[in-house]
Amino acid sequence: MIDPKLLAILVCPVTKGPLTYRAETEELWCAASGLAYPIQDDIPVMLQDEARKLTDEERDSLR
Amino acid sequence: MNATVDFGVERVTPAEKTRRVRGVFDAVAHRYDCLNDIISLGSHRLLKRAAVEMARLRPGKDVLDLAGGTGDMAALAARQVAPRSPSGAPAAGADGKAGRVVLADINRSMLTAGRDRLANRGCVRVDFAQGDAAALPFQDNVFHALLVAFGVRNFTNKAAAFAEMCRVLRPGGVAVVLEFSTVENPLLARGFDAFKSTWPALGRAVAGDGAPYRYLVESIREHPAQEALREMMEEAGFVDVEYHNFFAGVAAIHRGFK
Repeated sequence: MIDPKLLAILVCPVTKGPLTYRAETEELWCAASGLAYPIQDDIPVMLQDEARKLTDEERDSLR
Repeated sequence: MNATVDFGVERVTPAEKTRRVRGVFDAVAHRYDCLNDIISLGSHRLLKRAAVEMARLRPGKDVLDLAGGTGDMAALAARQVAPRSPSGAPAAGADGKAGRVVLADINRSMLTAGRDRLANRGCVRVDFAQGDAAALPFQDNVFHALLVAFGVRNFTNKAAAFAEMCRVLRPGGVAVVLEFSTVENPLLARGFDAFKSTWPALGRAVAGDGAPYRYLVESIREHPAQEALREMMEEAGFVDVEYHNFFAGVAAIHRGFK
């Protein structure tokens, strides 16, 4: 679990857009870039080349 | 922009440098602290302390330790922004909230080594994030202070990294950069070169691999000298940038404000 105060200042490194925490996949989703950043061992991996591309449905669910 | 960047004395593509630097630190993460003590004869501790002093931290301040690795700077900073009261609870600042330290590093092995080490020391007010200095995952204007110790030399795109550092700092915030630098005196420079030439063998003996330390020696040689680094910080938007030399310029601490 990421500390809420850290979560509050984290943004997408690509777009600097806001992130949505998804507990079911332990990921941080960015609607603007369509990227999902994994949280591994409670450490968010905020690297573009290690992010997963959101599916269209996943991206739509953020709107 | 150039198509290639320096990796030690080699020229490689930016993506290749980022990949190789991560490999260097993956290779040495488990023995990193021990080797720092050996090759600096213990002096890296003194330099890190001096760098944290220059940030003039106070209780309640929020700090980013960038390229924070195994957490030496984060631990020193946490003690100042969230000092423990006798009851064990972190003391609050003037606005009633305790400060925090975020340790960011691009390298997973270094981050997990840092987290284990800080957890063992009971250092609770440090959060961790894996990120690239040239594309920081933080909002604008959130940190009162930013520390980088022996990290800038490894950044693939230093101009982008300094611009990002400036972006995440609050107006009036301070950035402190501790890094190897240039020894002006030719006699002392030769002495330091001779000392550095022993590092790959030391690295091989202690960490089982000399290549990361050959990279270290070469990257020190390629790193911009004091004035050039000061200019880079100013170009990124920092003001009142000054630096102090240590050990005749073997290391320098630059400080600038947003």
